[in-house]
This record gives sequence, structure tokens and C-alpha cells, in this order.
Amino acid sequence: MEEPATFERHVYKNASVYHYMKMSLILEDESKRLIAAEFKQLIVSGLRDLYGEIGAAIPFDLLTFDESTKTAILRVYNSGLVKLWSAITLIGSCQNELCAVRVTQVSPFLLALCGNSRETELD
Amino acid sequence: MSPELERFPRNILVCERSNFLNEKSRHGIHVSKHYFNYKVSIFIPECGILPAGLSSVIKSFNSYFLVQKLPVYKLIEEVFLDEVVKKGGFYALSHKTRIDEDNTIAFLPSGQMILSLDKDTYEQLGLEGKPSLYNHRNARRYVVTVDFTDKSMTVGGKRYQRVLLGLKERVPLTCDFLLSRYSTGTDEDGALQGLLSQYSFEVIRPAQYSQTLRIVPCPTLHPSDLQGKAGSCDPHQFLEWLGSVNMGIRCDNSASDFLSTYVCPEPQDSMSQALLYTITGFLIPEDIQSLLQELQRYFDEPKFSPWLSLTVHGFVDSPVSWGTMEHGFLSSGENFYNFVCFKNQDYWLHMATGALDGCPP
Repeated sequence: MEEPATFERHVYKNASVYHYMKMSLILEDESKRLIAAEFKQLIVSGLRDLYGEIGAAIPFDLLTFDESTKTAILRVYNSGLVKLWSAITLIGSCQNELCAVRVTQVSPFLLALCGNSRETELD
Repeated sequence: MSPELERFPRNILVCERSNFLNEKSRHGIHVSKHYFNYKVSIFIPECGILPAGLSSVIKSFNSYFLVQKLPVYKLIEEVFLDEVVKKGGFYALSHKTRIDEDNTIAFLPSGQMILSLDKDTYEQLGLEGKPSLYNHRNARRYVVTVDFTDKSMTVGGKRYQRVLLGLKERVPLTCDFLLSRYSTGTDEDGALQGLLSQYSFEVIRPAQYSQTLRIVPCPTLHPSDLQGKAGSCDPHQFLEWLGSVNMGIRCDNSASDFLSTYVCPEPQDSMSQALLYTITGFLIPEDIQSLLQELQRYFDEPKFSPWLSLTVHGFVDSPVSWGTMEHGFLSSGENFYNFVCFKNQDYWLHMATGALDGCPP
């Protein structure tokens, strides 16, 4: 067995490589279905519209997409956060239908996205 | 493209490593100073059901009260102040008030009241405060801290009367409150019950949720390698993985996948099963302290798992994170800590805050 640890402390400032974004897609026709790949394609198109082909190549991951609530969690490199966020904000149509993407939480810690006290009803 | 487009908000992660048996270990202080806790998650590898010891500790968690439309001045009236607030162990936080939009009020167990107010309310109230540390250009938010244990705040004194008058007559602030009190076993709750009986309130038990995960890839951790320089993953990668487990995010992707390229950090092991147990509510530090003590005893009997973890999330709209350190929301309001407990009683402690927060203690 290893020796008991002696005290050690490290402070990391801005050391996270990624940011994580939680968002939901709001469609005019709420009953319309969308799969994860279509949602990611929608965002890539938004990036292309705003920043051109270079923008469309910004790497990001769609970590989860809940088809029933149309909520998603994205992971993006810090350097791409502002570009991705701005492109998402300006998305206005999805498959010829008016839409909006509502960003609810953005954090450098994925863990923080599962502990949002604003989301849960305690009573 | 402009370099401005590559900027991002500041964030801080503090990592500590020590041993629970170390006399100078500060883990207890960090837990007790993180006053307003919203969610606790326990992750135990190679475990299917919650051990009996942990189950009974969780059952003994304090219930809390949700009181509707409670005027703030009622909490600082003489009897309540003397019998509840000043005696310590009393926690109160305004409910459904957003720290970036509304007036937010908190009572700390140290006998202090924190008011985080917008500019108009602050000016009408006429109490001495400080501009919020996180104002943008012009001061739009102010923080008033009143320490009722201070000698100059004795009931009946000038300063006390000024605070009472301000909250009772000048700006009669009213909001829903979450209240909890650490019970020492003696019957001291007369004043609290007296107050509650005047308003509509609910007694709420913390909500619990258990999940058994099957075949989970997990990073290999070495207790001595907190920074991930000797083969373990680094703290950010570990917290990312823990987040993915908590939210059911798949990590069996490959680098060429269209949707996601996220994978479990290397080197990794595979667990046949793991327990994820979450508790949400208005959870007081004393309860979390006893949970942590029970978790330390988990390894008294031989176990397959070399470690387990405990994550505690603070309320995102609390005006403080640790102690009286001011807290804001910006885009997430994160203020959480995570213990990784090892077999030999070593622990890692990760404490994280976002852009509108100070450095964790």
C-alpha cells in the first residue's frame, strides 16, 4: 500500500480545454421530430452561414441529444466558443420552418451541467 | 478572424490531495464553509446497491422548509434572531430568485445576513453595502452584509433598528425561502415553528435517485498522481468523465465519428457495474459531513473498487459560494466540489468556480 499522502494543492486558472453548452431547439411546430445528426447539421450550417467554410470546419461534439425535448449538450474547444455561440444564436430556420436555439447553460465543466438548481422543482 | 472571437470567460479549478487521517487536513472546513448545497452525487465503482451504512446516513438527512412569501424582516425580529439566527446552524436562501436579475437573500449559519440587491432596491433601503465585485462598468448590483453576532448589532441598538426599519418599512422585501436548521437534538425549534405557522409552508425531504450502471469504462487513477503527470488522466479530464457518467453520455466513439469524438481518458479500466446515487434538495453541510465520514468507512471491509467519489453542487443563485465569498451566475453559476476517496484514506478534492466567483479557499 502507498504511503499516506502529504498535503498538495494546485490551482488551475483557465486550464480547461473545452466549454460545454446546454441548449434546446424550439420549433414552431412542436410535434416535428429531429434526430441528432440533423441537429448537428443544422449547427454546422449556421456556422457556415456566419463564418464561411472555415467556420463550418470548427470542431465540436454533440455529446447528447434528447429527441423528445430537443435538448442537447455540445462540447467545443475554448477558441471556438464565441463563434459557435454566435452562430447558434443566429439560427432562425430548420428544414424550412422557423426555429430558435435557446442556450441555457455554458460552463468549462461538464459536471456543472448536471447540477443546475434553476432547472429542478424542489416542491 | 479577430482574436477577440477566441476569448472565453475565466474559470478556476483548485485541486488538493491529502489524507483524511492527517490532523491538518482541511477537508472538513471546505465542506462546512460551502453553505448552500443543492445536489449530492455518490459514484461507487463495482457496487450494485447502496450499502446499509450509507443508506441510513442519507435517511437521517435533515428535512427542509419551503416557506411562501415570507417578509425578510420576520427573520430578524428580536425573538427569532436570539433563538435561531444567533445560535448558529440556521440556513436560509431565497427561492426562485435569480442572482443576476432579482434581489437575493441568504442567512448563513454564522449569524450573517447577505443581501444581493439591484441598484434601486439598494438605494431605497439605505443600508451600508458594497458594489458587487462583478459589476460591468456601472454598478448595478450591491451586496449588503449584516453580521448579527457583532456587538454593534445588538437588538434594540441604533444599527439594528436601522436594518429592521429598512426591511420592515422602507423596502418590505418578501420572497419564498428555503430554510433549514441543523438540529442538535434539543428542543430549540419553538421560534422557528412559531414563524412557520404564520405562513404557508411545506416540509420537504431531500429527493433521492439511484441508478446502477453496467459495463462502464473508467479512467485508471493513482492516488499519488493528482495532476495526471505519471500516467493518470489530468483533473479536467477526470471531471469531464465524471460529468459524462452523471449525464449518461456515451464514450464509445471514435475519432472519425460525425456526432461526437468523446472517449474515456486513457489509461482506462472497465467496471462491470457502478452505483450512481443522487440526492437533491436544500442540503446542509453537516449532513454532507456525516455522509463523507460514512464514505471513509466504506473501505473498512475489502472492496473491488480502489476509489469512490462524492460530488456536491452548490445553488447556482446563491449570493455566496464558500464562506462569504461573493458568487455570480454569468453563464452557469457553477460552484461545486468533488472528493475522490481512496482505499488508504487518501483523498483528492476538486473545487471549481466560474467567472463570477473568487478562488475556492
